[in-house]
Amino acid sequence: MSSTFFDRESTIAGPGFNRFMVPPAALAVHLCIGQAYAFSTFNLPLTKLIGITKSAPGDWNLTELGWIFSIAILFLGSAAAVFGRWVERVGPRKSMFVAALCFGGGFLVSAVGIHLHQLWIIYLGYGVLGGCGLGIGYISPVSTLIKWFPDRPGMATGMAIMGFGGGAFIAAPLSVLLMTHFKTATSNGVLETFVTMGVIYFMFMMIGVFSVRVPADDWKPAGWTAPAQPKKLVTTANVAVEAAWRTPQFWLLWVVLCMNVTAGIGVLGQASPMIQEMFPGRVSPAAAAGFVGLISLFNMIGRFFWASTSDYIGRRNTYMVFFLLGIALYAAVPTLGHIGSTALFVAAFCVILSMYGGGFATIPAYLRDMFGTYQVGAIHGRLLTAWSVAGVLGPVLVNYIRQYQIDNGVPKAQAYSITMYIMCGLLLVGFLCNFAMRAVDAKYYYQAPMTPGRHPS
Amino acid sequence: MKLRLAVLWIAVGIPLAWGVFKTLQNAMKLFQ
Repeated sequence: MSSTFFDRESTIAGPGFNRFMVPPAALAVHLCIGQAYAFSTFNLPLTKLIGITKSAPGDWNLTELGWIFSIAILFLGSAAAVFGRWVERVGPRKSMFVAALCFGGGFLVSAVGIHLHQLWIIYLGYGVLGGCGLGIGYISPVSTLIKWFPDRPGMATGMAIMGFGGGAFIAAPLSVLLMTHFKTATSNGVLETFVTMGVIYFMFMMIGVFSVRVPADDWKPAGWTAPAQPKKLVTTANVAVEAAWRTPQFWLLWVVLCMNVTAGIGVLGQASPMIQEMFPGRVSPAAAAGFVGLISLFNMIGRFFWASTSDYIGRRNTYMVFFLLGIALYAAVPTLGHIGSTALFVAAFCVILSMYGGGFATIPAYLRDMFGTYQVGAIHGRLLTAWSVAGVLGPVLVNYIRQYQIDNGVPKAQAYSITMYIMCGLLLVGFLCNFAMRAVDAKYYYQAPMTPGRHPS
Repeated sequence: MKLRLAVLWIAVGIPLAWGVFKTLQNAMKLFQ
């Protein structure tokens, strides 16, 4: 395997290449890195590494372990922002390979941390190294998919980002299966599970590395011609990443994504206790776990559904639906809890979580509409810092406001009402930013001479 | 090319379908 195998030039597709080979290549990466959402499966077993059946003195506690996921998400956003331009330059194959090395390697380094019982090695392994793999892997296929599907960019990126949501569905039962398999009288099987998952994920991501291709610069889908009169808010120009993040449009989109994610992520993390506390005595812990599974499923389906829909109704209109429908549903939740309608409550959150996923999946196509295809992956990478901020803001809002309410004598069943109205306020901010969206000023357009591998196309 | 396409989609489709099935199994507890 020569070094040129990984170069962008080696991945240019020949004539007759079927572009539907590219979405599964992207899915192979996203289905793996989506494991991050299921990391909590390891939390309890990691608190019993010494005691095996129960925590013993010297075992780690949940607060310490919670930092592993937080560091990983922080490095996801940072790596996507920092390495975005590099990903655009070297192409999807090399960046997917680096992502596979980082993500698979993160598990193996963490396994060493488990063996030596040194938590800082896990922070470094899964958190820093794995987090970089998450960030690079997340943005690797985005601009490639947009270039392969100029006629359906929302559907194409929605398919890949759906994989990130679906990755947790595979990882959670797989982790439990492996830990059960490797469990012995002297080990709870976490070490062996980390090693196995590191190897499996590396190999599975290599499917994407081997099968991904980029289109030739002059390639277009058969029978498709770019519309002579582009739609409103769909540019035919290109904006480089360094210029893009100086535009008001970038920051409006940053707030749009941040508000949409904040509103969903806090609820996702608190869904199980929330439904049990809002319907005391009517929803068992097992049923609450079912609720979490159901809204996660809608989170995944929403990624494909809403991103595909945005190809027809436009990106701005899609986010208008997210914000207006989101405000209506969040505002209705306290009433649904008050009247005791579990079915309507569950239905409302299924729609809300579908729009949370839809927000993630529609943003790359929105960026392409505003800034063109040149360096759209790098711009997407920088925008993902909004996710890191929302990842802190959402859970803090839901958890702390709930606790504050309970501490001040509000019954648990009503402790979420204020939070829901705050979510409505956040969505209103997102709505106003989306409403203010206008085309990018021509002074930001990319006009430098083209260089190989960095062509505006 | 068609065979490679089918193999690729099956490779990503099977684990995803398994994960969705397991999640649906879990979600059914909500309706019991």
